[in-house]
Amino acid sequence: MSSPDTLDIRRRDLRSEFRPQREWIDGRGLLIVVAHFFSGIGAGAWLFSVWLDIEAGMVLGLVCVAILSGIAHLLFLGRFERFWRMLKRPHKSWISRGIWGIGIFSVGALGTLGAPPAWRDTMVAVSLFGCAIILLYEGFVYAASKGIPFWSTKLLPVLYITYGLRGGAALLLILAAAGSTAFDVHAMEAIKLWVVVSTGVLVLLYLTTASRSGGAARHSVRQLVAGRLSPAFYGGTVVVGILVPIALAAAREFGATGLFLLAAIGVSSLIGDFYVKYCVVKAGTYVTLSGAGLGTNANEPTRSRRFREAG
Amino acid sequence: MRLGMVIDLKRCIGCYGCQVSCKAENGTRPGTTYARLIKREWGTFPDVQRLSIPLLCNHCSEPPCVDVCPTGASQKQESDGIVFVDGDVCVGCRACVMACPYGARYYQDREHTYFDSEGPNEYETTRYLEHVRGVVEKCDFCRHRLAEGLDPACVTNCMSKARIFGDLDDPDSEVSRLVREEGGFPLTPEAGTEPNVFYLPPDRPPTNDRQVTP
Repeated sequence: MSSPDTLDIRRRDLRSEFRPQREWIDGRGLLIVVAHFFSGIGAGAWLFSVWLDIEAGMVLGLVCVAILSGIAHLLFLGRFERFWRMLKRPHKSWISRGIWGIGIFSVGALGTLGAPPAWRDTMVAVSLFGCAIILLYEGFVYAASKGIPFWSTKLLPVLYITYGLRGGAALLLILAAAGSTAFDVHAMEAIKLWVVVSTGVLVLLYLTTASRSGGAARHSVRQLVAGRLSPAFYGGTVVVGILVPIALAAAREFGATGLFLLAAIGVSSLIGDFYVKYCVVKAGTYVTLSGAGLGTNANEPTRSRRFREAG
Repeated sequence: MRLGMVIDLKRCIGCYGCQVSCKAENGTRPGTTYARLIKREWGTFPDVQRLSIPLLCNHCSEPPCVDVCPTGASQKQESDGIVFVDGDVCVGCRACVMACPYGARYYQDREHTYFDSEGPNEYETTRYLEHVRGVVEKCDFCRHRLAEGLDPACVTNCMSKARIFGDLDDPDSEVSRLVREEGGFPLTPEAGTEPNVFYLPPDRPPTNDRQVTP
């Protein structure tokens, strides 16, 4: 049985001019953000681990993608027992491509970790192919949502890819801090700093572009920078996700050392990675249906191309 | 054949008859309204005007909801262009809900009833069995009625005859004539979805649009 509050919210939404999307954030909808968080950082961690040959990082990447993200994806679905049907339309649907990506990656990753050495290169190639699909698909799932102008931009996939990469790097820094593996931490820190700065610039660019993309997208931006989502945006995405990692990385540059600092950079980056995805999804607002459209159309009726051609 | 609808905004009186008849016909749960109505008012007292805008699935020729569906549950019927959801195939990923620029899709997540504290009544117990839980539902132009040669329930029950239903591919049909001669326009044409629901302009165009909060 439903809670009357939920129903009231739904009824109120149907009447409001700026209708917030709730299906992918409220209640079990939050699981899709969790799923995309884990698949992004998992794919990023795998990529860097293969490059730097860190086996523990590979295992962690595989766990994040195949287990944590997989479970969150399944629990999010209304009818998870039918999940296999989502493999049917990779030629059209980005969700379908993503499911294929997770499958291909999992096979390749398991093969890389467990197959005989002769097969390793092939399996690495398969896993990297799957990895690329995973990093790509998340942003495109949102960008394909024509009902939500805030998401419907080519910049969003770029943002998701960058955040996936920095999340992966963050995971490896935590691994290094835990002392479970040895690798060139300085190289990883340099990459990490560069990616963190890039994400800051990208977030700014994304919000600027969205604020010029019509009423609903502008409303979404307002929610983030000066509305109900501003505590999560400024606190989670800007301060913890961007400023803190930069400050900590700068402290290391000026001589501060210690595993705690390394772990702190990783953890704050991961929190920021989660929050940027949470904020972007939560700020989604459906395209407005009246107002401007009717105003201009009523003055100068817009006929469909089909009818105009018919004369 | 390309079935479509014309809604005359001059004729619509905002009685909610379409919304209620749709709910009765399809037995939908609270919060699910395949045919809904929003009201807008504009102007400054004493020169004010109010407009009722009926909304429903636009059964687009280029439906983004069909494109994003990973399972093929959202389909466009080739014979008449009706967009529908196969409830036995849908996994409830809700990508189509996000893709629809008209807010015409509803995810059936909870077992809402109109009198929650009392549980479902006899009507609800019977009618809600027709709906699959955990999937997305939407208007299908009352396909079950069309099969019997009837118009959709919202068209039949519109007391001011503001809704006209027919084949947009037939240049001699009433809907085609109205769109052609009376300046029919679709909602959000910039989305590029080629909607098949057209609106005839109101008497006076809205200016300084403002949302009515009932």
